Amino acid sequence: MGTIFFELALTLYFAGFLLSMAGIFRKKDDFDKSVLVVSFSGFALHTLYLIIRYIKSSQAPVFSMHEATSFFTWSIMITSIWLWFSYKGKILNFSVIIIFLFMFISAFFSRNIPLIKPELKSIWIDMHALMAVFGIALFSLAFVFSILYLIHEKAIKNKKFGGIGNILPSLEVLDKINYRLIFWGFPIYTIALLVGLVKYLNILGFLFDPKEIWSFLTWVVYLSIFYLRIKGDWRKKKAAYLTIFAFLLVIFGFFGINLLTESFHKPL
Amino acid sequence: MSLIVVGLNHKTAPVEIRERLAFNSKERIREALKYLTQNEEISETVIFSTCNRVEIYAYDNDNNKPLEEIIKNFLSDFHQIERKTFEKYLYIYEEKEAVEHLFKVTSSLDSMIVGEPQITGQVKESYEIALAEKTTSLILNHLMKRALFTAKRVRNETRIAENPVSVSYAAIGLIKKVFHDLSKKSILLVGAGEMAELAMRHLIGGGIKNVYLTNRTYERAVELAEKFSGYAVNFENLKEVLSKVDIVICSTGAPSYIITDKMMKEVMQERKHKPIFLIDISVPRNIDPLCNEIDNIYLYNIDDLQNVVDSNILERQKEANKALDIVKEESEKFSLWLNSLQSVPVIISIRNKAEQIRQEEIEKFRSKFKDLPPDILNSIDYLTQSIINKIMHSPTVALKNNFDDKETLIFAARRLFGIENDEE
Repeated sequence: MGTIFFELALTLYFAGFLLSMAGIFRKKDDFDKSVLVVSFSGFALHTLYLIIRYIKSSQAPVFSMHEATSFFTWSIMITSIWLWFSYKGKILNFSVIIIFLFMFISAFFSRNIPLIKPELKSIWIDMHALMAVFGIALFSLAFVFSILYLIHEKAIKNKKFGGIGNILPSLEVLDKINYRLIFWGFPIYTIALLVGLVKYLNILGFLFDPKEIWSFLTWVVYLSIFYLRIKGDWRKKKAAYLTIFAFLLVIFGFFGINLLTESFHKPL
Repeated sequence: MSLIVVGLNHKTAPVEIRERLAFNSKERIREALKYLTQNEEISETVIFSTCNRVEIYAYDNDNNKPLEEIIKNFLSDFHQIERKTFEKYLYIYEEKEAVEHLFKVTSSLDSMIVGEPQITGQVKESYEIALAEKTTSLILNHLMKRALFTAKRVRNETRIAENPVSVSYAAIGLIKKVFHDLSKKSILLVGAGEMAELAMRHLIGGGIKNVYLTNRTYERAVELAEKFSGYAVNFENLKEVLSKVDIVICSTGAPSYIITDKMMKEVMQERKHKPIFLIDISVPRNIDPLCNEIDNIYLYNIDDLQNVVDSNILERQKEANKALDIVKEESEKFSLWLNSLQSVPVIISIRNKAEQIRQEEIEKFRSKFKDLPPDILNSIDYLTQSIINKIMHSPTVALKNNFDDKETLIFAARRLFGIENDEE
């Protein structure tokens, strides 16, 4: 049925979670290799699960709560792996902790294949949904790294060290990671919105969906971050604060709009 | 069997004594090793001498010979110094305590600055000299290898050497919290001074290539520029250089601020707010502390650096306790290994092993030929027993004899007969 791969991936992420936690509490890094092995294997099985589901249902695996959370988790994972290849260090140790938590949440939702309106069954809608979730995943990571940046920046300014500051990479690296996340996240998110907009007008005629308006608002904030970054202004704190703010908008868009309003974007 | 260390260090002896007992060059150590091994009582020895300590490790497989006396006399003869002048400063450890002491020294737990890494290399070097002079054999070879292994474990499993405890290394540590790849960064030294130059040296060692130097007297800047293969900058152009470089070390004798916050605000505009790290090690201070309030400027003065160092020293002390556990564990292992080189237990284990094989083979034989009469079986039992006794006779005699190389022989016997070592 394919769900077996989900269970296996979840189990491996759980192992990664335990190993990482053990490493943090014991303040040793002898488990780091094992963390890598289980994370990579978990990721491979997770990928397999998504592919099987995609083929079986012939629609992108992002339309139900379960699918959306699981694909979001997968996006975070692939990005972490990408960052790990560039910067090594303990990136995966931390992300596997978050990844397990999200994967765990997704396990609680119904795993039935959601029935979407037949007119929405199209490669464009698939692309729209996949890219939107992927973009948001990049933004979430940018949010986390912005917080880390601000914490680290403050510690260096105030000359107070200890705790997390000892294992964080340099400010320059934290900022570079942020830059890269926004650099890739923004265009992906933009394409997702554009495709969505075009299809939306095409299929449903001209309607104002609250989610759509909110997404556009969020997009404008990200546009300004993107602009600041590309322009090469070195005031990183400003960018970090904006990234945090933008992400709060995204979160509200995801939960608030879904719960408070009757949007057809509501996960099935 | 006896293993002993006679030594003195910065805690037990004043420098006047240490310098008189030190072996100042490799050549001196070689001479000393030759001199010391002229004594028949000493079968293995290693001499270890740094600016903070002098230690002599010796091993002898004959009991009840006063190694301590021999070494003290040797120190007195070799250095032409009366015994009573230095005797009270010495520490003497034997057997297990000696092992533990060496492991502590090698792991840098006994150093003046706990966790400093040089000591391990120095132990290794001393051991290599002894090895080349052939004054070590089975016991000290194993001991030294275990000591270096223990040091490696301590380094890998604790964070004892992680945080820098000197001001200039602390500065590098802080800079690395801001910048990633130092080889792409540039540095400016304003003024001169011993500590500033030391910090510069460490930073250049850390990979920084672009070095700028400036001084009120331009000639001095040129001089320093040659020294560090950098560029001399005219003092009037200070502001322009400030908008280019990433790190600034300031150390002048000026009585007031030469880098003010107003100046830095303009500089930051100029450099598009690119982060800059300022280190002010001059007293009185030369950089206005208000500069730290400006975004993307990180300013540390000498007291800030000292605070970082102090807290790192505390951190190291905590880690030293963890390291001590590793040292205890490893010296326990070594003692077990040493015990395994006693002859009686080896003989017993070899005999047990032979007997076990005999029993197994007889059991197989019996199950194969079930109908054999009991007297034949008894004869077979007797026959096999006497074969074993005959074969075992000469190894047993050899192991019981007191040869010079008894430990080597026992070690070999364990290997040849496949007796498990307690250590593994």
